[in-house]
Parts: sequence; structure tokens; C-alpha cells
Amino acid sequence: MDKNSAALYKKMQSEVESYQNLQKSCVKVVKQRALLESQLNENKCVLDELNLLGPDNKVYKLFGPVLVKQELEDSRQNVGKRIEYISKELKGSSDTLENMEKDMLKHREAVAKYQQQWQVAAAMK
Amino acid sequence: MSGTANAAAKTEMIDLTKLSPDQLMQIKQEFEQEMNNIQDSLSTLHGCKAKYAGSKDALEAFQPDWENRQILVPLTSSMYVPGRIKDLNNFIIDIGTGYYIEKDLDGSKDYFKRRVEYVQEQIEKIEKIHIQKTRFLNSVMSVLEMKQAAAVKLIQQQQQQQQTKQSA
Repeated sequence: MDKNSAALYKKMQSEVESYQNLQKSCVKVVKQRALLESQLNENKCVLDELNLLGPDNKVYKLFGPVLVKQELEDSRQNVGKRIEYISKELKGSSDTLENMEKDMLKHREAVAKYQQQWQVAAAMK
Repeated sequence: MSGTANAAAKTEMIDLTKLSPDQLMQIKQEFEQEMNNIQDSLSTLHGCKAKYAGSKDALEAFQPDWENRQILVPLTSSMYVPGRIKDLNNFIIDIGTGYYIEKDLDGSKDYFKRRVEYVQEQIEKIEKIHIQKTRFLNSVMSVLEMKQAAAVKLIQQQQQQQQTKQSA
């Protein structure tokens, strides 16, 4: 009986550990997603602004310390591409987050199960 | 963000009075954390709005007869060099992600006006969410207090019963 409960305890601990690890990476992914979201927003604002411009407005892009003149159409396409790219990344990180949450739930259930078994074993003694 | 919003919607469907005090405490803590985040975003947004409004005010102060006027150009926050306004009707505005656009005076004013409005919209959106969450948090708190009061009463009753048993 004692051996049994020790084994259960070990299993439970490993589950708790993997749960905590997942939780840590989850926080990281959430942070990354927030960053992507803010970048997406900023790019959308820039595209909105570029779309409002006429052909006689000049557009510059900052490369390091210098402003380089850009064609309006090129800038629009570039920002559009970046929005596409960021959206893709965002979707990817949302998917990872979902999977992580599923895994976390699994581990949590496993912990609860072992806890119950352990209690039963303790009560039987 | 959408995940937490969904979770909030779900918890609102649950009857609060059926939850245990521990669960209520957990919900309360989660909500307080969220409220802090909302407060932070609100103050950031207010800061942004003030910046845009400041730029707009600076443009509003421009007069059409300022051509060749002498100004002091800040090099650092405490050091200036004299300069002259050469071109009154051209401003280069940072629109984010490294892009800058050239606009005339009216166009620039318009840009900042739109920015201020945009930020104001976001502030109002977040304030609405804030009010909702405050309401929910208050109801959680009141249920929690009720539960605690009931628990205290129960303990007192038990003690009284024991005392009467002992005296009998």
C-alpha cells in the first residue's frame, strides 16, 4: 500500500511539473501574441493613412537614421504584405495557445485523478 | 484577449451563489488583475491622446505670415539653436512602423484631429468594458460577503448548541 501511494505521489508530481511548465510557456505565448496584435494594429493604422494619400503626397521610410523617399504604391504593398504576415503569425500563435490550453486541462485532470486515488489509498489504510 | 472575454461571458452565466468561497476568491483575484490591466491601457491611451492633441495645438498656433520667422529649434530639452521657417506648408509626420508622410498644414491638422478621435474611441470602448467588469466584481464581492457572514453565523450557532449541550 505504501509503495502504491508513493508511486501515485510521484506520478502526480510529474503531472504538476509539466502543468507548471506549460503554464510558463503559455504566459510567453500570450505576451508574444499581445505584441503581434499591437504591431498589426499599428500597421493597419499606417495602411489606412497611406490609403488616404493622393499621388502628390510624398512618403518616406526611416532606415536607421535616414529618411528614404518611397513610392506610394510600393509602400502600400509593403504594409499590406506585412499585415498579411503578422496576421498569419497571430493565427499561428493563437493555435499554439489553444493546444497548450487543451494540454493544460489534460494535466490538470490527471492531477485531480491522482489526488483522488491518493486520498482513497490514504483512507483505506 | 478574446479568450478571457469568452471566459468572462461563461462565468456570468453561472449562478454566483452556487460557487464556493474559494472559487469566488479566485474569480475576484482574476478580475482585479484584469482591472489593473485595463487601468494601465487606459492611462497609456490618455497619454497618447495628449501627445496627438499637443501636436495638433502646435499646428493650430501656426500663422500664415510666419514665413522666414525666427524660431528656436530644440537640440536637447535644454539647448536650442536659432532657425528660420522656410516652408510653412510642409510637415513630415511619423505615421508609425518607420513610415513618414509629407502633408500640408491643413492635412496635418486633419491627421492629428483624426488620431485624437481614434484614440478617444478606443478609450470609450475600454471604459465601457471597465464599467461592466466593475459591476461584475461588485456582485462577486457582495456574494462573497454574504457567504462569509453565513459561515460566521453557522459557527456561532454550533458553538451555542455545544454550550447548551454542556450546560444541560
